[in-house]
Amino acid sequence: MEIRKIRNLVLFLAVFLGACATSPGPAPGGSHEVETRVRQPAQQDSAGVQVFPLENPAVTELLADASAAESSGRYEQASMLLERALRIQPRNPEILQNLAEVQLQVRDYEQALNFASRSYDLGPRVGEICSRNWRTISVSREHLGDHRGSVEAEQRAKSCMITKPEGL
Amino acid sequence: MTKARKKKTTKKRKPAVPAKNRWGGRLWRLFLLLCGISLGVLVPWTAYLNHQVTTEFEGRKWDLPSRVYARPLAVYPGALMTLDDLLLELRVAGYRETARVSQPGQFSRQGSTVEIYRRAFRFQDGREGEQHFRVVVTGQSVKSVTAVSNGQELGLTRLEPAEIASIYPLQKEDRTLVRIEDVPPLLVTGLQAIEDRNFKHHPGVDMRGIARAALANLKAGHAVQGGSTLTQQLVKNYFLSHERTLLRKVNEAIMALLLEAHYDKADILQAYLNEVFLGQQGAYAVHGFGRASEFYFDQPLQQLQEHEVALLVGMVKGASYYNPRRNPERATQRRNQVLADFAETGLLTPAEAEAAAARGLDVTPSPRTRGTRYLSFVDLVRRQLAQVYQEDDLRTEGLRIFTTLSPSEQEKAQQALSKGLVDLAQRGLPTDLQGAVVLADTASGEVRALVGDRDPNRPGFNRAIHARRQVGSVIKPLVYLLALEHVNDYNLLTRIEDEAVALKQPDGSTWSPQNFDNRSHGNVTLLEALTRSYNQATVRLGLEVGVNQLLSRIEQLGVSAEVDAVPSVFLGAVELTPLEVTQIYQSIANTGFSVPLRSLTAVQTANGEELVRYPLRLMPQAHREAIGVLNYALTQVVEQGTAKSLPAQMGKQVTVAGKTGTTNDRRDSWFVGYTRNRVAVAWVGKDDFSPAGVTGSNAAMRIWGELFRQLPIEPVDLRVPDGAQYLWVDGQSGRLSAEGCAGAIQIPYVDGSEPLDMTACGATAQDSSKESIWKKWFGNKKN
Repeated sequence: MEIRKIRNLVLFLAVFLGACATSPGPAPGGSHEVETRVRQPAQQDSAGVQVFPLENPAVTELLADASAAESSGRYEQASMLLERALRIQPRNPEILQNLAEVQLQVRDYEQALNFASRSYDLGPRVGEICSRNWRTISVSREHLGDHRGSVEAEQRAKSCMITKPEGL
Repeated sequence: MTKARKKKTTKKRKPAVPAKNRWGGRLWRLFLLLCGISLGVLVPWTAYLNHQVTTEFEGRKWDLPSRVYARPLAVYPGALMTLDDLLLELRVAGYRETARVSQPGQFSRQGSTVEIYRRAFRFQDGREGEQHFRVVVTGQSVKSVTAVSNGQELGLTRLEPAEIASIYPLQKEDRTLVRIEDVPPLLVTGLQAIEDRNFKHHPGVDMRGIARAALANLKAGHAVQGGSTLTQQLVKNYFLSHERTLLRKVNEAIMALLLEAHYDKADILQAYLNEVFLGQQGAYAVHGFGRASEFYFDQPLQQLQEHEVALLVGMVKGASYYNPRRNPERATQRRNQVLADFAETGLLTPAEAEAAAARGLDVTPSPRTRGTRYLSFVDLVRRQLAQVYQEDDLRTEGLRIFTTLSPSEQEKAQQALSKGLVDLAQRGLPTDLQGAVVLADTASGEVRALVGDRDPNRPGFNRAIHARRQVGSVIKPLVYLLALEHVNDYNLLTRIEDEAVALKQPDGSTWSPQNFDNRSHGNVTLLEALTRSYNQATVRLGLEVGVNQLLSRIEQLGVSAEVDAVPSVFLGAVELTPLEVTQIYQSIANTGFSVPLRSLTAVQTANGEELVRYPLRLMPQAHREAIGVLNYALTQVVEQGTAKSLPAQMGKQVTVAGKTGTTNDRRDSWFVGYTRNRVAVAWVGKDDFSPAGVTGSNAAMRIWGELFRQLPIEPVDLRVPDGAQYLWVDGQSGRLSAEGCAGAIQIPYVDGSEPLDMTACGATAQDSSKESIWKKWFGNKKN
């Protein structure tokens, strides 16, 4: 029994570590950053609350395609699909933020910053997308050398979740 | 000549030399001479021809015209378009209306349902196959899109873009290359059956063919058949001039033999299919079956049916003589002869041939692209292309140029301008007015339409791009924008003086601008001064914000204005083109996110490889919150200011923002306006700068209104960016107030510019509203 357990553990570790070895190299800094510094914390902030439901099926289709392109590293294709979606809904904060995140991954920090700001202007300014907006702005500013601005943006991201009723 | 004459005289001098053996000697010498010539001339000559044939044939790259495409029309439920828009887009993209849709390139309609069979196309972002679907359009938008095969809803599809222009090679040849494996088999075999039955077997020159042709010609008494093989015909077109000399015939034969010796039959046939002359479109020669198929049938070659293939094969004999558009009877006769030959050689069954012969020619009445369709817009495309490409590449590389043009909007803009100027003449304005219109997508800066002449088909001076005219009051909003950025000094209800102002000019003279109604209006708010376009108030405000600040702001908005920093700039004494004015207003319409206006989205090679893409790039302006406040003020120009009559002209009550502009002596009329989705500029004036009797609202605004009457539009978004907010204030005093109080209006303020004082009503309301929120949140607990 014991031996079997150990054997299983060894096998498991072998497979597990093997998977590490064959994983497609280190992920590019940009895409790693988007996951760990923008999407995951924003999702935690909002506990999965989607503020802006997508209604247009054409946009939904394009966003799904863009997301697939993005996760396979075809960023140019993802941008083109998102731009097509923007032609349908030019003021959709979700599309704008997705574009900002693609730009973060190709390290075009200036445009990432601009698209995230635009998304914030047009978006709900609370909730998950607000948090993604400010976290993208924060990461971009950091790369652009604006450290104070980056910290400030990080703070703004946290306040996306605080909805203070006015007059209190 | 002299030698020949000498010979003759020698002959005459020695008439009586009888000896036979002498003749033998002469023949022998002649033989030797010929051998010498052969070795000395023919061998090097053949070597030379051989070199020509191999280098030319292998290195041959046809000069291919570049194709310019409109934007593809996205079709999805909710897409803004009318039924007429969709039909127009289909026609411009070369779709044919039929009763029953059975093949790509066709559509039919029944009521508000349009059935479309889309062609396969390589879009900018990838190839998409044929698609057969139904679109239902109600009112201003698409209601549903469903597949014909199974009735399933399609979330999103698109029409392939219309080809709006070609940029041709200098030798004026038009051509679409085809590969032999993509050519219908009947065309490949049929061409041989008609032109060169022995093609598969002869070595380039067909002695039997020549004999047969000679016999046939002898029988007929005149030339009815040619003995040239396809290879010879190709050689003739490829390498040689068209003169009919013996030397050329000899060269042709030698080169044909050489070509066959070096290359296989498929290569030669493919070259022939792309080279043969098949028609003329104005100055451009149509070469090859690929383009001919598009030119005559508006279909890709692969989709041609038997009777259409037969027509093209028949036309090889004489493309102008058998021109099916000009000489349909002759062409039909020839086609039917070809069909009979197809049957005789077993390519078609007699029944098939007969059925095909019974059909009409089915050529389109006129070629789809009659040269360039939207001259002014294509002009802009060429200008933007010239920044990246050499003229030569555009003419020869067969580039695929994707643009932002919307054919339906371009047609509307052209019509609005042409019709509008005729109407203005009927209202008593000059008959020789000219104009320009630029229409762009607000958020992406993509130019959807551009018109630079009242006659859209007249090439030449493109006023939308090149006419530099004073802009008048169209510049004023920037003065107010600069003021709104000074949060300690100005908000929309801050009062300024609209009183006479006299300024010393650099040349010593005095400049004292008048208002349009020649009156001064005293104490007015910024909002009033802007919406009613008061000159004196604007100059006074301008002096506070500074003329250099105004000029550098224009620059920041993406336009370089070369003008002296004098106060008259506040009233628009600065010359800009309609395109530049559109650029400035795009930034305002997009609440401070500037996008350089683009007419291009991508350029690809003939094979679809991307050479350059023009992605959407945002350039944020500083003080976007002030732009948000200005945005509101510009809607008030239409609501209650100088553009008050616009909604009636547009025939719809939609929130629109805009500004009129008139210049000294009524030389120029401008109107700039925007909605959530479109920004557009209209300009009217005379080319010679003479007074034209026009004002912003009596001329350009009518054209703008007529255009937007026909466009599906969305109201301006009045939301302000972070750093500004809407407040309830008393319209008269500018003090804080509250909803429901007498005279209370809700207008936006840049943070820090809001009033501190409060009206009595406002104060009470504020208190009670605080209480109500308290109650709302904690009321239950209290109870």
